[in-house]
Amino acid sequence: MSDDAKTLLELYRRMVTVRQFETMAGEYFAAGEIPGFIHLSIGQEGSSVGICSVLRPDDYVATTHRGHGHLIAKGADLKRMVAELFGRETGYCKGKGGSMHIADFSLGILGANGVVAGGLPIITGAGLSIKLRKTDQVAVVFFGDGASNRGPVHEAMNMCSIWDLPVIFVVENNQYASTTPQSYSCSVGDICTRAAGYGMPGTAVDGNDVLAVRAAATEAVARARAGEGPSLIENKTYRIRGHFEGDPQRYREAAEVEAWQDEKDPLNRFHQVLTKKRILTKKKSQQIWDEVKARLDEAVNFAKESPFPKPEDALADLFANP
Amino acid sequence: MSERILSASAALAEALHEEMSRDERVFILGEDLVAHAGIFGQFKGIPEKFPGRIIDTPISEACIAGCGVGSALTGMRPVVDFHFSDFVTCGMDELCNQAAKIRYMFGGQVKLPMVVWCPDGAGLRAAAQHSQSLESWFVHTPGVKVVIPSEPADVKGLIKASIRDDDPVMFFQHKRLFAKEGPVPEDPEFIIPLGRAAIKREGKDVSLLTYGSGFYTCTEAAKKLAQEGLEAEIVDLRSLKPLDMETVAESVRKTFRAVIVHEACLTGGFGAELAARIQFELFDFLDAPVGRVGAKDVPIPFSPPLEDFVLPSVDDVVAAAKAACYR
Amino acid sequence: MALEIIVPKLGLTMEEATLVKWTRSPGEQVAAEEIVLVLETDKVTYEMPSPGAGLLHPLVQAGSNIKVKQVVGYLAADQAELNSLAAAGPAPAEAGPPSAAPKKAAPAPAAPTPTGGAAPRGGRVMSSPLARAMAAQHGLDLAALTGTGPGGRIVRADILKILEGGPPAAAAAPAAPVPAETGLLTAAQEIPISGVRKVVFKNMHLSLQTQAQLTLTTEASAGEMIRLRERLNQAAGPDGPKIGYNAVIIKALAQALKKHPRVNASVNGEVIKVWREIHVGLAVDLGQGLIVPKVRQAGLKTIPEIQAELDRLINLAKRGQLMPDDLALGTVTVTNLGAWDIDHFTPIVNCPESAILGVGRIVDKPVAKEGQVVVEPRLALSLSFDHRIIDGAPGAAFLKTLKDMLEEPLLML
Repeated sequence: MSDDAKTLLELYRRMVTVRQFETMAGEYFAAGEIPGFIHLSIGQEGSSVGICSVLRPDDYVATTHRGHGHLIAKGADLKRMVAELFGRETGYCKGKGGSMHIADFSLGILGANGVVAGGLPIITGAGLSIKLRKTDQVAVVFFGDGASNRGPVHEAMNMCSIWDLPVIFVVENNQYASTTPQSYSCSVGDICTRAAGYGMPGTAVDGNDVLAVRAAATEAVARARAGEGPSLIENKTYRIRGHFEGDPQRYREAAEVEAWQDEKDPLNRFHQVLTKKRILTKKKSQQIWDEVKARLDEAVNFAKESPFPKPEDALADLFANP
Repeated sequence: MSERILSASAALAEALHEEMSRDERVFILGEDLVAHAGIFGQFKGIPEKFPGRIIDTPISEACIAGCGVGSALTGMRPVVDFHFSDFVTCGMDELCNQAAKIRYMFGGQVKLPMVVWCPDGAGLRAAAQHSQSLESWFVHTPGVKVVIPSEPADVKGLIKASIRDDDPVMFFQHKRLFAKEGPVPEDPEFIIPLGRAAIKREGKDVSLLTYGSGFYTCTEAAKKLAQEGLEAEIVDLRSLKPLDMETVAESVRKTFRAVIVHEACLTGGFGAELAARIQFELFDFLDAPVGRVGAKDVPIPFSPPLEDFVLPSVDDVVAAAKAACYR
Repeated sequence: MALEIIVPKLGLTMEEATLVKWTRSPGEQVAAEEIVLVLETDKVTYEMPSPGAGLLHPLVQAGSNIKVKQVVGYLAADQAELNSLAAAGPAPAEAGPPSAAPKKAAPAPAAPTPTGGAAPRGGRVMSSPLARAMAAQHGLDLAALTGTGPGGRIVRADILKILEGGPPAAAAAPAAPVPAETGLLTAAQEIPISGVRKVVFKNMHLSLQTQAQLTLTTEASAGEMIRLRERLNQAAGPDGPKIGYNAVIIKALAQALKKHPRVNASVNGEVIKVWREIHVGLAVDLGQGLIVPKVRQAGLKTIPEIQAELDRLINLAKRGQLMPDDLALGTVTVTNLGAWDIDHFTPIVNCPESAILGVGRIVDKPVAKEGQVVVEPRLALSLSFDHRIIDGAPGAAFLKTLKDMLEEPLLML
């Protein structure tokens, strides 16, 4: 599969959007504008954009506490995202969810989840729903190397497999689950080998190569749409920031982090690829960055000017049939 | 509206037939449902009539519950069979962290029309891990409704209402009562709205507030109390959440005395919540402290004399009612 | 070892009291048998002698509610011991808990109570919320009621009994409010309603509220009574007790009650209890408030014995040494206002008794006898009784028997 320039530039633009969004979020968090805590996916843009770029708006995605990138890659509204981070009533969840619980059901985003691996049983249900309704939608769930060891992951993979559900399991192995290295916690070095245990294909992919991710995703989605069942894609990547903003990160060396920031950085790598293909010039790149920044600034202003929800709104939206 | 006598099990099956015919989005999933129409035969006739809409799952409670959540979020109306209510523990994250919270956390973007059907209760010598009454855990979880029928008509009317409700409902049906028979309306639109209690026996001396198997215990107790000149009023709560406090209040304002009866163990049981509400909202109407009757606070034991000792008895209810009447 | 000062049980039913005051100061040397404190129950004020000698270390503040057998203070053997006691817990300097008039102890039923207590707690009225609301609605004072619930709790049934037993008194008519003080009307004194006054306050109201009372009056010829008294005094000689008219009247009353036992009764719930014993109370006021010491088994005593008993009781009363057992559990009362030239009046039954005899003065009056007007000493008698259990005719018959006995003492034999 080869993508045309327009598509490639769009991929780049999305990666830049994720990168800038996360950076902006980190800055505003440090400035005290964002309550609670946030988990940034800087360095993992290859995975989120690569996977979501092959999905339709009516395909489902379930993501994690580190889900901003997936949401943006699936097309979520930046204004409503920033407003939600800032806790305003104009946010996606009217301020009730925050960073870890953003969802946009109009885009098939079944939500970020504060419970590690929480999305896998849910996406199984979405897959079952697709099958019962006999549509050709697919359902994608993102999870991490830490999540891969939880019980429900096993149950979900098994269930999706026995029923041939159109589910794509994307494990973003960023090598750390909070403070615990993947090399310690996982019984296997390549998580994708577990797929064989469930009778489904599993592939390890250079997660920081957006085109490689996109290729793997294309294949998995085609398989799912054809009714051939689930797949597991392991995107090998690296978490540049701490587990959460403010993480002292005593479990790894600064040198290791730095090593992933230059040649291995997914944006830098793709920038180079596009430059080599003469699709991206310095000027064009700057233009993209500026446009994205302008959109983000607009989103931030929207959020800042939005009111907080009224306190008694805390009691609303519990039940559809109160 | 005409009625005929049905068992609770048959009433459930009939209700599901009706709802699945009426709405093709309704489907059932859980363990061991197809071969015998459920381990208690509770889904009799459904595998034949609705093939593909009653689905056997592997033993994967977290994922079974999660399937309920995910399919409810994407246009279906699942009835999740949890096999034995005791196993809710294996799916608590999906039930309490996901199902109960999704609508709220996401600012009301979606509804989650899922029914979790759990056979519960003791008295079958099934021991500690197959005999529990766990409704309190879900009463204590905002975002999920809790429904507990007693008689067959309640089973039918309430399961239909639960399926038609757009929110997650924990539906606890007592295992020992599957064969219990009672009049059930034929009307396919017979619905008992959630949050509506029923005064099933009128009396002036003491209000027995109960649900599920407790209803039958109270009925027997009321007969014994009548022999001693005490007329008990039995209020079958039917829904714990939403709760019909108005009917409870109406009864207590009449009798001035309340005893709450449930099979769940006493400490932290629903009786504690209801007693707190009664003393707070009906303080000046109480001529005696609000009594509670529940199982003793131990896991349910196996041997018959042990289990019978632990579970609340008719005599326990009689004694509590008499104490409230200063007899 | 310091000596404990322990609250004594002064009567069969006593459970608690108020410590009115310490008569000695902390640290003072007290001798054995010296009065060290004054306590008050709802029946008596008692000056308590010290159990031994020592330096006083009080534990309980004056005005506090105290219980039978409670250690209220110590007597230290010497200054050293006093210091160590003071270190352990200084004598109370702040105001202690306000002393409510200790309520009559209620019998605890056998049924187990949720709170585990069997006796009412000091000073607090136990009642169900419903009973409380009903009492408030009908202007009933809970403190004056006895409860039949566990631990003496007043419950709905108890309130209903009151309501069914008597007119719903103060419900419709609240007490007339006392005008606010202005320059025109100011209080020269403000006396707290407490102690004996509080008890009388409640009982008088309760009596009229719960019983259907009426008063019958008659007049007896007092001549025989006067002669009887003279002869008894002569027979007793200068050393015997000086017989007074009250003793004669009490004798006659007791004998008349033997013939009319229904008058010697009380209402108890749904039952009329006709008492076996005749315990006649004589209302006296010695300047400390109205008290009614009892002459026990008056039907079995001679007039001199009755007089001796009256003397004993009055003496104790004057010295503030009456025991609660002297004041409790009477079956009928006599109240004599003759000393104030009163003739007929309408005494209030001393509930839970059912009858009270009001006695007026002995006064010469012209009376028609066999067509002639003669002057003779007459005695007005007023009998108030509870028509719920004593009808008019039986009440009148009893009064007639009494009158006949006073006019013809031989009928008492």
